[in-house]
Amino acid sequence: MMKKPVLGLLAMMMLGAASAALAADLKAGEAKVKAVCQACHGADGNSQSTDYPKLGGQYPDYLAKALRDYKSGARKNPIMGAFAGTLSTADIENVSAYYAAQPAVLVTRH
Amino acid sequence: MIRLSLLAAVLMVLPATAPAQAPAPAQTPAPAQAAAPAQASAPVGDSAAGAQKIEMCIGCHGIVGWRTAFPEVYKVPKIGGQHEAYIVRALQAYRAGERSHPSMKAIAATLSDKDIADLAAYYSGALPKTASK
Repeated sequence: MMKKPVLGLLAMMMLGAASAALAADLKAGEAKVKAVCQACHGADGNSQSTDYPKLGGQYPDYLAKALRDYKSGARKNPIMGAFAGTLSTADIENVSAYYAAQPAVLVTRH
Repeated sequence: MIRLSLLAAVLMVLPATAPAQAPAPAQTPAPAQAAAPAQASAPVGDSAAGAQKIEMCIGCHGIVGWRTAFPEVYKVPKIGGQHEAYIVRALQAYRAGERSHPSMKAIAATLSDKDIADLAAYYSGALPKTASK
């Protein structure tokens, strides 16, 4: 009984995620990263400074969620709030996809 | 070895404790340059102790590609190999209510400063070559 709607919802979520990933423009993301993000996070997301989290290989939907929250003020950080505020919805998808596509410096530790 | 030097670092940070442990010339107070990455008063993280405290973490952060279910759906971040100091700040922010994810707030609320330091030491110690996917 429950199975069908749940499966349907799951399929929709997966489709949504897939289309968002396809929609992201890595080239545009790279340009934005170089202009806005790399000074702190590095072009590959592997920040050597412990002041800034590593982003390379992080999941793109998590990165996008973080940026949306900084932009909306749901997540409070003066620096990130200011930078995220300059990003459009498309910019957020693009830079998230770009950093996610860099060599992974983060892992799932069990 | 690492354990011992960690212990030594802890002992040096706590001036009044166990002077007998200090090897040789303990005259000069050790420079307050402990291994701790965060503020001077923060407890030193112990990765082995952290490994004993991850039951609450692995249900989500230990599964590749695991997704949150509420209030938004996205993959929970990979935290292995992240900067230790950043993990500490993130957990402190959840505990203080500055970051709002319900599960993370609830879990962080149960953690002491020492727990946070230990968990950060454990997770930051993961090497990129051990996983990914």
